[in-house]
Amino acid sequence: MTPDTAPSENPFSTRRIRPGAVTFLFPEGQSCRGLIERLRRNGWQGEIVGPHGSGKSSLLACFVPELHRAGHETVRVELHDGQRRLPLKLRKLGRLSPSTVMVVDGYEQLGPWGRFRLKFFCRRRRLGLVITSHVPIDFPKLFDTVSNAETAQLLVDRLLEGYERLIDERDVLQAYARQEGNLREMLFDLYDVYESRRRRQSSPA
Amino acid sequence: MNASDIVIQLDGKEPAEGPIVGRSRSYEPGEILSGQYTIDATSLGGKELSAVEVSVLWYSEGKGDEDLDVHEFWRKSTDDGDFIDPMRPERFSTTLPRSPLSYDGLIVKIRWCVRVRAFVGRREIVAELGFQLGNVPPPEEVEQ
Repeated sequence: MTPDTAPSENPFSTRRIRPGAVTFLFPEGQSCRGLIERLRRNGWQGEIVGPHGSGKSSLLACFVPELHRAGHETVRVELHDGQRRLPLKLRKLGRLSPSTVMVVDGYEQLGPWGRFRLKFFCRRRRLGLVITSHVPIDFPKLFDTVSNAETAQLLVDRLLEGYERLIDERDVLQAYARQEGNLREMLFDLYDVYESRRRRQSSPA
Repeated sequence: MNASDIVIQLDGKEPAEGPIVGRSRSYEPGEILSGQYTIDATSLGGKELSAVEVSVLWYSEGKGDEDLDVHEFWRKSTDDGDFIDPMRPERFSTTLPRSPLSYDGLIVKIRWCVRVRAFVGRREIVAELGFQLGNVPPPEEVEQ
């Protein structure tokens, strides 16, 4: 829990870049509501696929509240590197409403048995299932998160609103290239650049 | 109603708003922090103030995981039978702890603040005033 109301001196601090802190940048013509409609058409199954740091968790942070607004409950599971089993006991979830959607972030970490048990559980209880993965699995495609220099610049512009522009387009391109397109790592990189310049600017000559 | 309708003032510490400069709004560990807050009653728009919470807290910011801890907390609520008069300044006072001290690091910063949260109908309005605890100098940047 953090006091999000207090301004941060650095626009790239964790509280400002963590999933949910920045609105996900959809391509023209796409939106969270559109994803819900696509999910519905796909029988409430779908996968969000993209490389490391391309915004999958950020997309979930806007998608899950939209599911709630549409009247669906969610059960959220996060799997990290090497976590081959679900961190919860499915049978202990109790009674879930039929409109519940299981959201599994990092699905590809699960071993074959874990995947089977999860799919069987959702099928038996008629629950929806949305997963994120770095590679396509075998679910209907919901969204592909992509990382490119243009998206990186738009993201940085949004973060810099209301702050002194100590970062320019060249800085963004260089950081993007250094981090090989990983937007999350690029933002961490820019934190250091901004912090260094902010201090130099405010220290006495 | 918005955050600017809540004014927090710390006794004997100027300036009452804006960034902490020099020794303004600066305290030593163990020192008493006291002050008051006022809520602009005209901004309520006829709605009732159902509760007000005051916290003295610290939080970390920067890179990596963030943390927060509340040192002191007060709450007044009409549900609990408290009378909340927005026309009258409300006072608060606490003895500040020995740690953590305010710190302006490169990767991690420790910030202290007084936070006032007012509940009007379904809305929640929050105002904060930062202060400094201790006098830890900022780190020097290492040349790469």
